[in-house]
Amino acid sequence: MLEVRDLDVFYGDAQALHGMALRVDEGEVVTLVGANGAGKTTTLRAISGLQKVARGDITFEGKSIVGRPGHTRSELGISLVPEGRELWPSLTVLENLELGCYAKSARKHRDESLERVFDLFPRLHERTKQLAGSMSGGEQQMVAIARGLMSRPRLLMFDEPSLGLAPVIVTQVFAIIRRLAREGLTILLVEQNLKKALEVADRGYVVETGSITMAGPARELLSNEGIRAAYLGL
Amino acid sequence: MGQVLALAISAVLLAGFYASMAYGLGLIYGVLRVVNLAHGGMIMASAYLSWVLFTRFNIDPYLAIPIVMVVFFVVGVAMYKGLVRFLPRGAAGGVQSLLLLFGVWLVIRNIAYLLFTGDDQAVRTSYSTASISIFGNSYSLNRVLVFVISLVAVAVLQLWLSRTYTGKAVRAVTENSGSSTLVGIDVERVYALTFGVGTALAGLAGVLASTLFAFNPSFGSGELLKSFVIIVLGGLGSVVGIAVGALVLSFAEIFAIYVVPSYLTAAVGFVLLVVVLVVRPSGLFGAKVLR
Repeated sequence: MLEVRDLDVFYGDAQALHGMALRVDEGEVVTLVGANGAGKTTTLRAISGLQKVARGDITFEGKSIVGRPGHTRSELGISLVPEGRELWPSLTVLENLELGCYAKSARKHRDESLERVFDLFPRLHERTKQLAGSMSGGEQQMVAIARGLMSRPRLLMFDEPSLGLAPVIVTQVFAIIRRLAREGLTILLVEQNLKKALEVADRGYVVETGSITMAGPARELLSNEGIRAAYLGL
Repeated sequence: MGQVLALAISAVLLAGFYASMAYGLGLIYGVLRVVNLAHGGMIMASAYLSWVLFTRFNIDPYLAIPIVMVVFFVVGVAMYKGLVRFLPRGAAGGVQSLLLLFGVWLVIRNIAYLLFTGDDQAVRTSYSTASISIFGNSYSLNRVLVFVISLVAVAVLQLWLSRTYTGKAVRAVTENSGSSTLVGIDVERVYALTFGVGTALAGLAGVLASTLFAFNPSFGSGELLKSFVIIVLGGLGSVVGIAVGALVLSFAEIFAIYVVPSYLTAAVGFVLLVVVLVVRPSGLFGAKVLR
């Protein structure tokens, strides 16, 4: 479904990705793990069209999307729940969600999409008129996930969904990710909480300094001695 | 008491015009983080367009409003696509955008000198001297019409921003352009649209001004500075901020006649600006400034 090949990305003179390559098949949950600054977020930003690509190719459902403007991704069926939520704080919860289905193809399904996300997050239904910026971190993460779903994506990407959240909320977030995966949504998950990420994922990639150093089924990575030593301190 | 009421009504009528004048500048700054120094020049150019339409084609200035606004919308979009788009944004682009748009203003002003000379012009319609009575005091019909039209314009704009998908997209881009791209908003298009709408509002202010004041090619500099005062006073967050800023300025100017000679009332706004910048740099409404 998604294929990233030989991707190079620069921030000014600094090279953030060196030949990044990965693949996500339909219905899979794939996770990208690695240390801070390894290039995970950059990879997601490149796929979302927020970051210019210097070299390499990104194909989605067989078509190259590298040269297309960032705002067309949503229409194609790619959605990102960005790191740090990135909501519109002085807009209401409902407005945040409505803008999630801004793309023409999604706008037609506004009501049923709203129904779906309110079913997933009943708390949001009671808070539609509240300003997004006045909610707690956990609630904001729910809004961000709901907004990401409003465009009816076929590929949903999460960037550090557990960052800065209380453990109870982290458990809820991962429960949501599991539920979406069960319902057949294809998911690409970037997460510093390597253990939790590998537990929900089918496959995983380990990223170091801008490229993949290890790949395989999530269960194998989780039991890999090197990974356990480097990332889990075991 | 009667005189105070009469002055207060004058101040409210003036505030309506001030609000429509400041809104365009505030909208563009809020969304693009660019101070449109050409705003005053646009107001002047629009006053002349209104004058040309009236004297050459016999089109009433109030009926000319839709035409003028469409023309200025197109001019604004063209200015964005041809010039402003290439500027660095935000704090980094401050000096470049100020210089460029100041340059645009100088160009517009000098073209106006070439076309219309420096003579004062005014739009004098058959009803220019008509007046209506409010609470026993009479006010010029034009002032009342300008007030009503300004209110309608600001209300329509507010509805557009709060109710339509495009308006919500404008607010979303103001707060976080990255997220806006993610949900499928073409941010560049929103910038162009905003610059167009802001310039169309300058066009509206120019037509309204042409019915109230005599003008020449230097007209507009006072209007730009007053718009600036209003935005600083009220913040950019809301139509309420703009309205309050406009009211504070118009009341201060009009009631200043009690304390300063009339030729100094124009300075009142700027004294107010300096005081606010010193005492409350974030404006009267502090944190409610759009990011």
